Amino acid sequence: MQSQNTDTAEPTLYAAHRKIYPREVSGYFTRLRMLSVVVLLGIYYLIPFLQWDGRQALLFDLPARKFYIFGLILWPQDFIYLAALLILAGLSLFFFTALVGRVWCGYACPQTVWTEAYLWMERKIEGNRSHRMKLDKAPSSAAKIRTKVIKHTIWIAFSLWTGFTFVGYFTPIDELGNRLFTGNLGPWETFWILFYSFATYGNAGFMREQVCMYMCPYARFQSAMFDSDTLIVAYHPERGEPRGSRRRGVDPKQAGLGDCIDCSVCVQVCPTGIDIRDGLQYECIACSACIDACDEIMDKMSYPRGLIRYTTENAAFGKPQRILRPRVMVYATILLILCGILVGHLLQRVPLELDVIRDRNTLYRETNEGLIENVYTLKILNMDSKPHRYILSAEGIDGMKLVLDQSEILVEAGTVGRLIARIQADEYNMESRSVPVRFHLQAVEANHLLTTEEARFVGPGKN
Amino acid sequence: MDSPLPDKIPRLQQAISVLWPSFAVAIVATGVFFSAFHPRDLVPFNLDIDVSPLAAYSIGFFLFWILGILSSCGTMYFIISNRRVLSKQQN
Repeated sequence: MQSQNTDTAEPTLYAAHRKIYPREVSGYFTRLRMLSVVVLLGIYYLIPFLQWDGRQALLFDLPARKFYIFGLILWPQDFIYLAALLILAGLSLFFFTALVGRVWCGYACPQTVWTEAYLWMERKIEGNRSHRMKLDKAPSSAAKIRTKVIKHTIWIAFSLWTGFTFVGYFTPIDELGNRLFTGNLGPWETFWILFYSFATYGNAGFMREQVCMYMCPYARFQSAMFDSDTLIVAYHPERGEPRGSRRRGVDPKQAGLGDCIDCSVCVQVCPTGIDIRDGLQYECIACSACIDACDEIMDKMSYPRGLIRYTTENAAFGKPQRILRPRVMVYATILLILCGILVGHLLQRVPLELDVIRDRNTLYRETNEGLIENVYTLKILNMDSKPHRYILSAEGIDGMKLVLDQSEILVEAGTVGRLIARIQADEYNMESRSVPVRFHLQAVEANHLLTTEEARFVGPGKN
Repeated sequence: MDSPLPDKIPRLQQAISVLWPSFAVAIVATGVFFSAFHPRDLVPFNLDIDVSPLAAYSIGFFLFWILGILSSCGTMYFIISNRRVLSKQQN
């Protein structure tokens, strides 16, 4: 049976999408947002070209399974550091949200940043809000098709550059560039460049505010981090209401009106298409375009600025404001502790790993002198950016002897060295059939490069 | 229920609800899985295949994504069919 529900009865969450044409706006916060957009895009597009020690400074080299983060080289076994970094990023988002609301959404989120960039291109090509609306409504003509083709060509070119840069974070970008210009791109590199380009083109060109409304988990749960002292963008209803149009020079008090002239500019500039005068809404990304727009109108009307402004719920209701409150301090404390742990671990991290593998074929062997001998293969992983020579020592059984096929081993940077080690010990010095022994590996002329690994020494056992 | 539940969810939002969470989960799963296992050491069903690491990561990512999509499709199917039942009861 068909349901009786019609589209109009659907909750707003699933309202049919209508295209939003954000009106251009200027002012303090808009300049701040533009600055943020330029800086963040600059960082994104330029960082892969940065060099460090003769290699790409920031490279998540997937084929080689090594992450280069400036002076730091992370291996798959350092996975925990990346996980910790992600947790820290998440916690910082909590902290800053509690303190200053959705500044991330309005100024730093890649979705906002790329949408602003694509909107800027759209404005340059199709003109201002009313021009764009007129163009979209107009029947197709040669001029309309030409404008649209130009816009999409430029968007696609910018998207491809974005996709190329993205892949350049995972495979050395100069080699990638060479392969691109000589037509030797690998199939998967090509695929990922196109995939990321398509995602950028779709998200920044078409999806825009729908990403924030339907795809962003943060938008859904950010209210959990908000309290009455969190910075929000809000309309001042006591001052603005009753809203209404009036001629310039008319005293609003005499006309029985508030300061809001109901010009709807705040709605026209909104990238998510909401009316801020309806109160705090989850669609609001706190971009503050409406603040700049309204301030401009207030200036024209010779009213004081700030009918729409950054405020807190407490400030809006005349209650005392607190910046340092338990929520902020708890987030800050957890953040600081985790930062401390991460930095401490990174400082103590020894870029050296030793793997000890016992000979699988024979448990033990008796030498001509009547000693018990165990054979081990040692894998030495030099995770440093320089080659090192290492010395091995071992302890654990009284009077034991360590026999090596070479006294020192040279391991190149980022490679694995192999060493065969034999331990010989007198059976009478063994407390049981299997006793622990410890291998110490130490780099020559680099005292901090030291690691210890435990292994088992097996003998025939006491009778 | 205060307001009747719509039995229709627009196609685009259905697609987003299925593709997007599974995409995010696939990224995490790929990261964790390939941090623990080198593609060189993985020989599925004793097949003699030679693929580059990038190809292995990409294929792994898509396998994880497909799994997530299947799971999300199941969730979406139950939500939609539950809504039909509920809206029938309400009418």
